[in-house]
Amino acid sequence: MRIEAKDPVVEFHDLTVSYHKKPVLWNIDMTLPKGALIGIIGPNGAGKSTLIKSAMGLLPLGSGHVRMFDQELDAVRDKVSYVPQRESVDWDFPTSVLDVVLMGRYAKLGLLKRPRKADKEMAMSCLKKVGMEAFIGRQISQLSGGQQQRVFLARALAQEAELYFMDEPFAGVDAATESAILSIMQEMTAEGKTVIVVHHDLQSAAEYFDWIVLLNMRLVASGPIEEVFNNKMLQETYGGKLTVLAEVGELVRKRQIPSREKY
Amino acid sequence: METFFEFFSFSDASIVSVTVGAILLTASSAVVGTFTFLKKKALVGDAVAHAVLPGICLAFILSGNKNPLILIIGAFITGWLSLIIIDGITKKSKIKEDSAIALILSVFFGIGILMLTYIQHSGNAAQTGLDSFLFGKAAALVGNDVITFGVVAVTLMLTVSLFFKELKLISFDSNFAKALGIPVKGIDLLLTTLTVLAVVTGIQAVGVILMAAMLITPAAAARFWTNDVKKMTILAAFLGAIAGLVGAYVSYAAPAMPTGPWIVLIISGIALFSFFFAPQKGVVSRMYEQRKMQHLMMNENLLKSLYHLGEKDDNLFKGRKMAEILSKRYFPKKKLKETLTRLKRQGFLISTQAGWSFTEIGKQKGQRVVKLHRLWELYLTKYMHIASDHVHEDAETIEHIITPEVEAELERILEFPTEDPHDEKIPY
Repeated sequence: MRIEAKDPVVEFHDLTVSYHKKPVLWNIDMTLPKGALIGIIGPNGAGKSTLIKSAMGLLPLGSGHVRMFDQELDAVRDKVSYVPQRESVDWDFPTSVLDVVLMGRYAKLGLLKRPRKADKEMAMSCLKKVGMEAFIGRQISQLSGGQQQRVFLARALAQEAELYFMDEPFAGVDAATESAILSIMQEMTAEGKTVIVVHHDLQSAAEYFDWIVLLNMRLVASGPIEEVFNNKMLQETYGGKLTVLAEVGELVRKRQIPSREKY
Repeated sequence: METFFEFFSFSDASIVSVTVGAILLTASSAVVGTFTFLKKKALVGDAVAHAVLPGICLAFILSGNKNPLILIIGAFITGWLSLIIIDGITKKSKIKEDSAIALILSVFFGIGILMLTYIQHSGNAAQTGLDSFLFGKAAALVGNDVITFGVVAVTLMLTVSLFFKELKLISFDSNFAKALGIPVKGIDLLLTTLTVLAVVTGIQAVGVILMAAMLITPAAAARFWTNDVKKMTILAAFLGAIAGLVGAYVSYAAPAMPTGPWIVLIISGIALFSFFFAPQKGVVSRMYEQRKMQHLMMNENLLKSLYHLGEKDDNLFKGRKMAEILSKRYFPKKKLKETLTRLKRQGFLISTQAGWSFTEIGKQKGQRVVKLHRLWELYLTKYMHIASDHVHEDAETIEHIITPEVEAELERILEFPTEDPHDEKIPY
């Protein structure tokens, strides 16, 4: 079930993504609306992270394309922000909370330029928004999981983007952090920004999001929560594993053929 | 001693050039090495260092002389080639990076040794000294060589400081850097090039075989002392420079001594020292912290036992003999004596004719431990539904680490209870 967005900000067109030639996402085709809080939901190994990584150009696309603001990603990078999974970095890296948040300013600064006072003030105000102003000089290895996630969110806020892709921002955080992050996201969407979140908890998904994308190696549904978040759709996402799809994927890997024929 | 003063007066121009050369070489490789270290690519430096040998030999065979610029170019080409091949093998085959590095390192080095042997037997008079690339020879740095190597070293350090922000970002979170649109591939290529250049110049000082140590060891040592990339880079450069200086002195004082191994020994000594004695991260400081914790636990356990005894016969300030304390709780005799004297010194106990007894603050401290123990037991039974006969062991540990904030929180949520799960009074 696929409902087109009226005011689309991201468009996935026939996107297929493979790891070592094995397709993990098949023909994703959908549009996502501006100013919505969007949840990408699906079981483990459904390709949720893969979807946003490929949207951000971090993985090679097998076929298809992704457009944002009706343009190529490279043309609008300053309007798009990406929050990676917390576990994807080494938190023992010798740097401070403020330094990490300042990284959000690097694109605006450009090569060879150092952060100025204004950038530092900007970073401070983002830290304040996520309730971490007391931790500015703190070494990042001393942060708890929830604090790490808040720092990542502050870094994304410092980018002053219009469109946010967040990979599991609620994973392994405390309840206070979860509600703090949620209310910041709601504030952002109220300002017309679009927030796309990879999420794995069905219970909270029903309360958090306006628009839901159900994923399990293929797109099961995409649409306003009240229309797609129902038993039938969830059954199809979680219960109905398409064994033929998985088998064909395995065949493709074994034969090492590209997902589109090239001559 | 005489040579020491002679050397450090820097009166001889050749001393100055050797010293400056050695310091620049070691410091610049330490600066570049900081990022190889942070990117967890320590072995890459080793591969490059071994892979430059065939390049040096080939450059010599083709040009017939030891012009450093030509040798650098030769070294640079094979060093670079080795990294490209390692990268290719890792990406295109099932062989993992560590195996690919081992393969390339030994193949390139083998070819290098083969060529070196050929050159040595060729009867070319210019070849003498070429083998100093194996172990390095700071004393061989004279005149124009110093200028060539110096320029490369300064370029390395300047480039790192120019791209510091980007190097830091790709070392910490390269996916985020890519998402920002920062040319991650370009910066990676830059770091690779810098690494190869650092190796190529550094081998003049420490030689092919020990070069990896010069890249990684200063960074590893510096990491013990600081939690900031910038400070770490500067400190690594400084530590590298010290090793370079000592190396230069050794090759002046004892020309027969190999410079490279000396430099590496010095920097390894510094790293070892950091490993043991750095504040917080060092082994000694961690041992000291553990000892402090042990003392604290002994102190609190003893005060707690005295409090229990006082509770029993309703006289908290009565003097107690060691035998009586031991009847309440087992302590090793020696430890007990030590702890009693320590507590006396710290003003928690006094020793009287009748035995050891509390001072007022000693009583308060003992009472607090007893209170925390019982509060925690109550918390475990009430909130975690653990049976009351299973909570004591846990409380024995937790009682020592609860902070005043947690204490207040416990009191609040348990509503200042009067009795623990074993019907014992909770003292306030």
